[in-house]
Amino acid sequence: MDCERVGDEGLRDGMMDVLYGEADAAVRARVEEHLAGCPACREEMARLRALRRDLGAWRVPVARPAFTPRGVVLPRWLAAAALLLLGFGATLGVAGYVSLRRALVAQEARAGELERQHREAVRALAATRDSRPVTVDSAALLASLDARVDERLRANESRQSERLERRLVDWEERAEAQRRVDMARVAASLSYLDGRHGQQLARTNELMGYVLEASQKR
Amino acid sequence: MGRSDEELVEACQAGEVSAFDILVARWEDRIRGAAFRFLGSEEEARDVAQEAFLKAYRALDGFKREARFSSWLYQIATNLCRDRLRRRKTRATVSLEALEETGPVMVETRPDAHERLLERDLAQAVRRAIHALPEEQREVVILKEYQELTFLEIAQALDVPVSTVKTRLYRGLGQLRLRLEREGIHGAAPLPAPAP
Repeated sequence: MDCERVGDEGLRDGMMDVLYGEADAAVRARVEEHLAGCPACREEMARLRALRRDLGAWRVPVARPAFTPRGVVLPRWLAAAALLLLGFGATLGVAGYVSLRRALVAQEARAGELERQHREAVRALAATRDSRPVTVDSAALLASLDARVDERLRANESRQSERLERRLVDWEERAEAQRRVDMARVAASLSYLDGRHGQQLARTNELMGYVLEASQKR
Repeated sequence: MGRSDEELVEACQAGEVSAFDILVARWEDRIRGAAFRFLGSEEEARDVAQEAFLKAYRALDGFKREARFSSWLYQIATNLCRDRLRRRKTRATVSLEALEETGPVMVETRPDAHERLLERDLAQAVRRAIHALPEEQREVVILKEYQELTFLEIAQALDVPVSTVKTRLYRGLGQLRLRLEREGIHGAAPLPAPAP
């Protein structure tokens, strides 16, 4: 069963106004009059109202605060424990800071005391030095220096002479050894020459013998 | 009683920058909500809201009193959402369905878990049905049904006649009813007719 005014845009706009509560009194009266006599439009309006209730089920997510990690929700007990820990940590931190501060103050006081004592000691030393004039025996100092220089010179000379003597002995030993080697070489050479000469002489004698023997035969 | 939007706009035009902060605080949630329903993504909705206020602030000197400030703001946000939807189509990236499936679905908190589940199913069905509407009908349905703008404000925001808004809304509601019935949602069943 359709409405006879199905193509009536004015009625349709009026129904929209009524549906969304924007109709003025005249429009509302006109639409209600039509609905009262038209079951099809009454049903249509009822369907639209029911549809609007269904459409309300789709909701927008609540905006998350920027600092909240996405999808992380802390249980209450965990949050309470975290707060407790935070408080405990803060107390510890404050206590630590106070004791550290105290230690620093005590240290500074001790350092100040030490510095004061040091200054006093320096002052006392300076006073002592000023009250006792220094006297130096220059003659004795010079004599002592001379003696030490002489002693050093003597020790040096002695070391030098010992070194020279050791070298002379060494050279003499080497010269004697060389002389002996040379003599041995000369002796060997002479002996060699003598040997050669002896052989030559023997051969000459032998030849002379042969000559004599031949002349005698002749 | 606080100052009206138009008074705040005037103050802002006169150099009172803090007046715009009040406008932002007043309209941010609603603009973000509309963008979320248009786009289906919480992140994008936040971006659109931010961008819309930035655009509005830059163009505030050119704002004329022919329309309400809220309509003008919705117009900016709607255009930004259209751009994004168009880009999304050309890039063929993530579907609206997939986008919203990842986000939380907020339903009214009730002690009955079964009812909560049913309502969540209903919310999903409604979302799907609305996103399946043609863009023109979807915009009108969202602005009317969820942003509760008047027909005149919607007409100003979309720059169309009021009668066009009503026609699109009527058609959109009809489409929604059909889709929901097809999904087995029987809430759209007729109520008993009031006694004449």
